[in-house]
Amino acid sequence: MGTEHDPSQRVAIGISFGNSYSSIGYTTSDGKAEVIANEDGDRQIPSILSYVEGEELHGGQAKVQLVRNAKNTVAYFRDFLGQEFKSIDPTPAHQSAHPLQHESTIAFKIRDTEEEKESEVTVSDITSRHLRRLRTSASNYLGKEVNAAVITVPTNFTDAQKDALNKAAKEAGIEVLQFINEPVAAVLAYDARPDAQLADKILVVADLGGTRSDVAIIASRGGIYTILASVHDYDVTGAKLDQVLVDYFAKEFMKKHKSAGDPREDVRGMAKLKLECEAVKKALSIGTSANFSVESLVGGIDYTATINRTRYDLLGNKLFAAFSRLVLHAVEKAQLDPLDVSEIILAGGNAHTPKVASTIGAAFPETTTLLAPSTSPTAINPSELSVRGAAIQASLIQEFDLEDIEQSTHPMVTVTPHLAHAVGVLCISGEESTGIFHAIIDAETPLPVRRTAIISTPREGGDVLIKLAEGLRHIKVTKPAPKPKAEKAEDDDEDSDEDYSEEEEELREKTWKVGKVLSEAAIRGVKKGGKVEVQISVGADLGVNAIYREVGGKGGVRGIIQGPKASQNGSA
Amino acid sequence: MTTVNIALPLPVLPQGWAAEKDFKPIGHLGQANDRNIEPVGHHFLAHARRKRHKRTFSEDDR
Ligand SMILES: Nc1ncnc2c1ncn2[C@@H]1O[C@H](COP(=O)(O)OP(=O)(O)OP(=O)(O)O)[C@@H](O)[C@H]1O
Ligand SMILES: [Mg+2]
Repeated sequence: MGTEHDPSQRVAIGISFGNSYSSIGYTTSDGKAEVIANEDGDRQIPSILSYVEGEELHGGQAKVQLVRNAKNTVAYFRDFLGQEFKSIDPTPAHQSAHPLQHESTIAFKIRDTEEEKESEVTVSDITSRHLRRLRTSASNYLGKEVNAAVITVPTNFTDAQKDALNKAAKEAGIEVLQFINEPVAAVLAYDARPDAQLADKILVVADLGGTRSDVAIIASRGGIYTILASVHDYDVTGAKLDQVLVDYFAKEFMKKHKSAGDPREDVRGMAKLKLECEAVKKALSIGTSANFSVESLVGGIDYTATINRTRYDLLGNKLFAAFSRLVLHAVEKAQLDPLDVSEIILAGGNAHTPKVASTIGAAFPETTTLLAPSTSPTAINPSELSVRGAAIQASLIQEFDLEDIEQSTHPMVTVTPHLAHAVGVLCISGEESTGIFHAIIDAETPLPVRRTAIISTPREGGDVLIKLAEGLRHIKVTKPAPKPKAEKAEDDDEDSDEDYSEEEEELREKTWKVGKVLSEAAIRGVKKGGKVEVQISVGADLGVNAIYREVGGKGGVRGIIQGPKASQNGSA
Repeated sequence: MTTVNIALPLPVLPQGWAAEKDFKPIGHLGQANDRNIEPVGHHFLAHARRKRHKRTFSEDDR
């Protein structure tokens, strides 16, 4: 590729490009991701362009044009890239320039020059213009010309969409080093924190945006991430929460001004309502009440009102419940249980809404950590997770040749066998019925893998058995024992019993069933209070290599368990 | 990777248990599932290096 930059000349940033907002970020020389504010001071830059007498407005300045200049304002276009007109949902762009079919692609008919004529600007060109503005803001901030980026995309972005975005970025003077998945960028943002612990866990990333919500279930194993399932929803969104407030304030307004019309039926009235309601919604994320104030809402009437959070929480009730159902649906799709989830990362702008966070949190057991601003003081700003992840990845790969990056991201390298079941040891008893399984390597760990465990021994030490087995995760449900009867009249005894068992919640626990036994080994003469170290390596062929020794002791035992294929050959 | 610490004790070796070199293979792991790992983060880069250069963990440690 002739246009490829010399890696040493690259200035790379991270870009998150949403339908509603975009962000730019970079990694400092000491490895910290920072989000860049544009010239207006915004870190969440509306993905909007507007043209006034040939002048291009961008971001927040373009967004206010939705009131007076909606026809020449292009918004909510990211998901149109690389698509055919017949396969898009134009709904989000109803109150701005409408997408139209243009040859095999999509365009907007806008007046973008000083001349009195409209031109059809393709979604690719709009995207290039938007990215160019982001690039300029980043270059101004950094004091050097940005020429490369890692850009985040949803997990269901197709190759055609990525190709289109790649071309649009190139037009804007940006070499795309890599597209990375939005939820994975969010995980990376958390894992890059200096105090982050590298632990195996099942994560849920719920990215709750303006025009869509995306949930991904991710296995994080030794710092390597695998998406187990994802769901995408275009109904349960931030725009719908705005609409809840739009309807509320429109009705309140009409109650007060009986002769005035419905502001929702007036194009400008509706645009003003939308802008103000989004601001009210954001204010309710930190304050317990917020003011609504619009000049000349409809028929020249100014309108101000207040709303408190309790009211908002009630109004949005159904939607909040829908957010939580969406997250549970994704867990189910991954064939997991809420008990399997160690952490929920709430990402996207709507993660700021306290009731969204608390409703989702309530659907999970107490053992699940919920990372959202209203529930966790250590949460990272959910609106910045994607861009931070992109900025970190950009700093990791900016010195690589593009060819190198392409090879490393090729399925030859990324498609990897994953363990179907956990592998671990039996504790307390070597009998499968009474022994307690403890995992050393979790299910869904990519191979090859090597893990070490330090295991206690019986109080007196001595000769111990190390029985390696597969563990099958099992959710144990215990119905509550009927409570001892309260002093009651004899004759309604039976009824009250039934009432009790219905009221009590059943107890759900994560336990293990012992699956296939893999091997047995002995370590002899362990000293009192001694511990045994077990190192297990599982190859891509499922062959197991185990090393056992007493911690601090001499010698040890080694064993090899052939993979299923090798053993078939062997016995043939 | 951090070490897994297991506080529950290992079982006592049953009377009369014996095996050559104290190790007895019994079964095999079942099939694995092929999945795509995300090409992101520095642990992935280490994985990619091992895979592309066909190196093992211990070779990588050196
Ligand atoms: N502080 C806040 N409190 C509540 N909602 C917020 C807050 N900040 C942003 N939002 C809402 O979050 C949504 C935008 O989310 P995000 O910034 O993740 O956008 P996006 O990825 O561009 O969205 P999409 O592509 O889904 O349209 C909007 O509905 C916005 O009103
Ligand atoms: Mg988004």
